[in-house]
Amino acid sequence: MIDRNGEEMDRSATGIVLSNREAAPGHFHLALGMPDFFADPVPGQFLMVRIPDRVDPLLARPLSVYGHARQAEWSRLELLYRVAGKGTALLSEVEEGRTLQVLGPLGRGFRVVPELRTVVLVAGGIGIAPLTFLAERYRALPSPAGKREIVCYLGARCAEALVGLERMEALCSRVVVTTDDGTCGACGIVTDPLERDLPSFPAGDTMIYACGPGAMFRCLAEMLRKAPVPCQVSVEERMACGLGACLGCAIPVRQGPDAVSYVRVCKEGPVFDIHEPDWR
Amino acid sequence: MTSMNPTGGNPPSLAVNIGGLVLKNPVMPASGTFGYGEEYAPFVDLNRLGAVVTKGLSLEPRAGNPPPRIMETPAGMLNAVGLQNVGVRAFVAEKLPFLRGFDVPIIANVFGETLDEYAAVAEVLSRAGGVHALEVNVSCPNVKKGGLSFGARPDSVAEVTAAVRGSTDLPVIVKLTPNVTDITEIALAAEAAGAQALSLINTLLGMSVDVERRVPHLHNVTGGLSGPAIRPVALRMVWQVAGRVKVPVVGVGGIVDAEGALEFLIAGARAVQVGTGQFVNPRATLDVVDGIADYLERHGIGDVGDLVGSLQCNPLP
Repeated sequence: MIDRNGEEMDRSATGIVLSNREAAPGHFHLALGMPDFFADPVPGQFLMVRIPDRVDPLLARPLSVYGHARQAEWSRLELLYRVAGKGTALLSEVEEGRTLQVLGPLGRGFRVVPELRTVVLVAGGIGIAPLTFLAERYRALPSPAGKREIVCYLGARCAEALVGLERMEALCSRVVVTTDDGTCGACGIVTDPLERDLPSFPAGDTMIYACGPGAMFRCLAEMLRKAPVPCQVSVEERMACGLGACLGCAIPVRQGPDAVSYVRVCKEGPVFDIHEPDWR
Repeated sequence: MTSMNPTGGNPPSLAVNIGGLVLKNPVMPASGTFGYGEEYAPFVDLNRLGAVVTKGLSLEPRAGNPPPRIMETPAGMLNAVGLQNVGVRAFVAEKLPFLRGFDVPIIANVFGETLDEYAAVAEVLSRAGGVHALEVNVSCPNVKKGGLSFGARPDSVAEVTAAVRGSTDLPVIVKLTPNVTDITEIALAAEAAGAQALSLINTLLGMSVDVERRVPHLHNVTGGLSGPAIRPVALRMVWQVAGRVKVPVVGVGGIVDAEGALEFLIAGARAVQVGTGQFVNPRATLDVVDGIADYLERHGIGDVGDLVGSLQCNPLP
């Protein structure tokens, strides 16, 4: 949100739909052509995307960045989203050549550590989107002395709901898949294989990045309390403005044993240290 | 075609007087949708606004409600933020200096759980310097001990109004709740107790249910409805109130563009506030300012004041 002069700047733009296709049942891959002034997003940052000139549904949808590539005088922005309600259902019907209102990139993204040797990604369902962009960013960085390993733990309801697997496999040294029903990979939750492998990661040289549902974060937080490894999580919450004004996306953070205060996912997040939010 | 423009090509005058406070144009953000101004500064030149209206301020900081706090509904949204705010002292120390840097009137929105708290918040803001008017929230429906009990009755609205008037020399705007049987009697009570202007409406109390899980969409169960869905209700109430009181009325509710704002002005509002509309278009306030100016030029009206209350309910054929 800061320009070269250190000033906060206007981040609204119009994107042209280059493609919007179903990547897996109920999941869509949207590519947008963005004007040159659209700022480079940091992995973990998000956009408020809206079909213009409608009051119903009224609000924009917060979607995280799946990919971004700068071209000669424009840039290609990719989003991966799940149809979750009316807004995303209408978005999935938007055809090539139409325009979308895009506000962003917004929020604080993942902290990338160039010298890191082991990058562990934990994705639940559509949570794979920002982690794919992050994996791409790490792949583009020069490897530290020795080799950098990117490992992904990917969980989904069933084989059909596994979205973005191929692209992630191309970016990672290893992808471990779990499904709730065992139709692909191991049957169970994504934190199970992670818990098993956790002791094998080099202490002090590993960072976990996670995005997924609240239940996954709760599991992960508990696991990492017992076996501390630094972990950044990207949190999803309903949003109205995406700019920090409506306070609709607030989540609780612990302030001592009894006190709770609220932080805005759009402004202080969406990326937090795993132990910052109160997951109860 | 010859122009009928009586302004002789000069841009129309947009200035209005709200209870002694002169605004360069009749458009301002609604309280609670603009933070303390900082969040929108990258999108909106605050100096171009009629005024800035702050988030509601209480004597002590308030954490607000647990999530989920918002839910989208047809052409609108419900919110149960719970009056989260930094508290009036932190506002003065940390937020007001930023706002003082602009050439725009600052209207601080105040609320309390007791008459004494209303008075105390008003006093702190009046002494701070850089606040130009107070808007009194008697109507926020979210907090059990909060607004509704004051805003729902003429006598308690009068008490709050008098308490605030007694603690400040700044113009006092009382913001009314629509969750009442007859808003005109509440409006008249506020006016009689010394309100120099009225703003209406605050959100309409509503709720929404997740039928698959059979739970409310909001943690607080109920929340305040805003957005275009409420505009016809707000407009009706503004029209009713403007026809009964002498003080200026500020129209609020579901305005997303100039056309919506013009409806309110024609129905009798002297100024308007844009709230939820800014969430989908951060520049909505300025788009409304420009749209009103265009309309006045197009209709050959030299002063926005001439538009206020110009509704003709039974025009002759």
